Amino acid sequence: MSIRLQLLIVALTTLVLPWAGCQYARELESTLRTSQEKSLLASAGTIANALSAQPQRVFQDATAGHAFTPAAGDLYVYPLTTQPLLDGYRDAWNVAANPTPLPSSSGYRARVQTGSTERYLYVYMEVDDTHFDPQPRDDHPQTDRFDRVDMTVLGADGAPLEYFFATDAPGLIAAQSLAKGEDGTDSVVTEPRIQAFWLQTGAGYHLEARIPLSLLGQRLWIQAIDGRGNGRAGVDAHRAPEGGRLFFATTGLDALLETFIRDGTRATVIDANALKLGSAGNLTASNKDPDETGTTWWYRYFMGVDTTDMPILPSLPDALGGDSVTAALAGRPHAQWALSGGNSELLLTAAAPILVDAQTRGAVVLQQAGDQLLALRDHALTRLFNLTLIATASAVLIMFAFATWISMRIDRLRSAADSAVGSDGKIALHMPESGSGDEIGALARGFETLLGRLNEHTQYLRTLGGKLSHELRTPLTIVRSSLDNLESEGLRDDQRRYITRAREGTQRLQSILSALGAAARVEESIKQSERVSFDLREVTASAVAAYRDGFPASRIALDLPEGPCFVRGAPDLLVQLLDKLIENAVDFCTESGIITVSLARDATSYHLQVGNDGPLIPEALVGRLFESLFEQRQGRDDRPHFGLGLYIVRLVAEFHGGTAVAANRSDGSGVNFTVTLPLI
Amino acid sequence: MAGRKTREMQRFSYDSGMKKQIAVVEDEPALRENYAAALSRHGYLVKTYANRMTAMQSFQVRLPDLAIIDISLEDEAEGGFDLCRDLRALSAELPIIFLTARDSELDAVSGLRLGADDFLTKDVSLPHLAARVAALFRRIDALRRPDNAAEIVRRGALSIDAEKMHTTWNGAAVTLSLTEFWIVHALARNPGHVKNRQQLMDAANVVLDDNTITSHIKRMRRKFQQVDPAFDAIQTVYGMGYRWVE
Repeated sequence: MSIRLQLLIVALTTLVLPWAGCQYARELESTLRTSQEKSLLASAGTIANALSAQPQRVFQDATAGHAFTPAAGDLYVYPLTTQPLLDGYRDAWNVAANPTPLPSSSGYRARVQTGSTERYLYVYMEVDDTHFDPQPRDDHPQTDRFDRVDMTVLGADGAPLEYFFATDAPGLIAAQSLAKGEDGTDSVVTEPRIQAFWLQTGAGYHLEARIPLSLLGQRLWIQAIDGRGNGRAGVDAHRAPEGGRLFFATTGLDALLETFIRDGTRATVIDANALKLGSAGNLTASNKDPDETGTTWWYRYFMGVDTTDMPILPSLPDALGGDSVTAALAGRPHAQWALSGGNSELLLTAAAPILVDAQTRGAVVLQQAGDQLLALRDHALTRLFNLTLIATASAVLIMFAFATWISMRIDRLRSAADSAVGSDGKIALHMPESGSGDEIGALARGFETLLGRLNEHTQYLRTLGGKLSHELRTPLTIVRSSLDNLESEGLRDDQRRYITRAREGTQRLQSILSALGAAARVEESIKQSERVSFDLREVTASAVAAYRDGFPASRIALDLPEGPCFVRGAPDLLVQLLDKLIENAVDFCTESGIITVSLARDATSYHLQVGNDGPLIPEALVGRLFESLFEQRQGRDDRPHFGLGLYIVRLVAEFHGGTAVAANRSDGSGVNFTVTLPLI
Repeated sequence: MAGRKTREMQRFSYDSGMKKQIAVVEDEPALRENYAAALSRHGYLVKTYANRMTAMQSFQVRLPDLAIIDISLEDEAEGGFDLCRDLRALSAELPIIFLTARDSELDAVSGLRLGADDFLTKDVSLPHLAARVAALFRRIDALRRPDNAAEIVRRGALSIDAEKMHTTWNGAAVTLSLTEFWIVHALARNPGHVKNRQQLMDAANVVLDDNTITSHIKRMRRKFQQVDPAFDAIQTVYGMGYRWVE
């Protein structure tokens, strides 16, 4: 694995930063939630205390201590903000709730909803009765022969007043009541103060009635009766004298609450039945942060609040529910996070009981949208997340660049180390990066030291031959001159034989020494050579002609280019180079093989090539052939091969600013030695 | 030059019957004794010295007829060169042969520039050495006698006196070492014929490698060019050797 990749992976660990940020934000959020809970609960407690000091402004004495029982005909009266037009529709009521079904023992269905303004009580009914039975136009109707709605109100003086609504044609009507005439028969009396609108629909009829509050006590029983005797729905005043209570919201409580609450909070006061007495405020803060909308889906995905285990608050228009409300009504303040039933918004609900004379008369419920908190958190988190992401991205980038730089340097050092010892045996002493002060620089300097020592050693080995030859020459001369002297003394034949052998030995020794020292001599003579311009073509031609005479057994093919080929250098040395290449070729060329000498010219250089058919050079040795005293190939003769020939070739080629290369022919038929010399 | 030689002659007047004295300055005892033995066998009187000091002391008393000097003497790496310089100061005519284990081109050039008559490596065999010594004495003897026209080879501007081993080009003397003289002689005797390196070495009674021959040739060309810048009679035949062209 490359350093680049390794460091990249290391750099990726900085992703822990955003993660830690998220964790931190979650903790922050949890703390914020707790503190919001506490603060909201404290607010609720404060409001509850304030309200408990003035119970008459909060609670309805009429319903105090009574349980809200819809089955007994108890009705919640919604506070209406506007005066609705009597038209048989409740659109103008602005009440979110649907009408409540009336208790019914038969299949006859009717639903009712009540609302009040300052002066009127409105009653709205929907009755499922597909057949309209109109009221006959007579003064003494059979009251069970037409569709009607009976309404009994407990008058302000406590006496029940019985009315009914019926009509011969839909439209605006007035309530009627039956008056016992003096003749004992019932006669219909119209009550013009109680207006209603009868609207016939496909499913039945709607009745929207308006009763002045001045006529009204605290109870109202209502039932719809089918004119064909199919049944009735509702509560009869006679059967349930304790039912039919009207649970009013408290007038003025909204305004009172308004003084307590802050923006973004909804305060609701409920009575012991959890019915709303009044409310103020709304959940949406008016000064929403526009930045909040910028959060993206992936961010929501990672950071969204886990709401799966949150309870869902029942969404009732007339009453509140949930654990907080239950707890508060039991006397305990309580706060709770929940989802609103309607639109699944996160809500914080805090409820505190309102105690009057140590009795829980109701509760104050404060609600805040969790969104507000989320917005705060989201904002902080988005910033944090973005910042850490940018930090991570730049860290990764920087690390990647750094790793690239490091690995580039190491790579440079490596390739320099690879090629430090050239194929020609030359050692490059300078390493890249050795100037830098870090570990890579130290490594490079270490390499340089190593190469320096290697170079010294190589130099020592290179000069060893010369030194040895020099040191051995004197003792050899002593031996030889002694033999010379001995020979002059006049010897017996048997003695002469030994002398001759000794002389042969010294001659061999001498040729070995001479070869050993030759490298140094060649180097020296090359140093002293003068450079002249000469025609390489002519020199090659002349030399090859001489070789054909010198080696009559060998076949030498010559291939020369057109025109003179001028080279700057020493022709003597170049001939020496050719000598060595030809000698080498003659040694290794097969009996029937051909030695080819060719000179070619391209745009930048001359290529002087001497090739021979014969054994190939082992690949491992190709680069080492031109080293001093290197000899691996077994020639045809038994002469000692000290490999100086090709070394001289290299020296001469370098003297001319060129190179010498040995290569096996691609078809394996032999070997080519190519000397490349620059054009002048 | 000629005048100085005449003066030297007078100082070294000896008759042929008198044994010629050779000084061998060589720090290697075995080698010194071997050279002395061989030269004595050839009828020379040999005096041996191990270092420059003893040799110089003796030379100041009496000069030898010929000196064979090793370059490195005991602890003086170039003691032979110093000795040669001092000896030349005493006598311009005394034949000096450098005999050394060193075979570098530079040494040869330095030695010859200091006025040595020949520069031999210790590879030379004793008979070859004796031949050279004899040749040098012959050159000196010949210089004392009147010119013998029969011994003179003339090739155009070149004239070689084989007896005196003396060379002139257009009448001007060209000072050649013994080896160089024999090489020129071998080339000029058969103008136009290519002599390979082996033939030249045989003629000069030396064992030299190719590069040394090449540098000898180069040096000879330079010596001729000193008296005639247009000299180009010694021609290289690449791959074969050299030839004299008229």
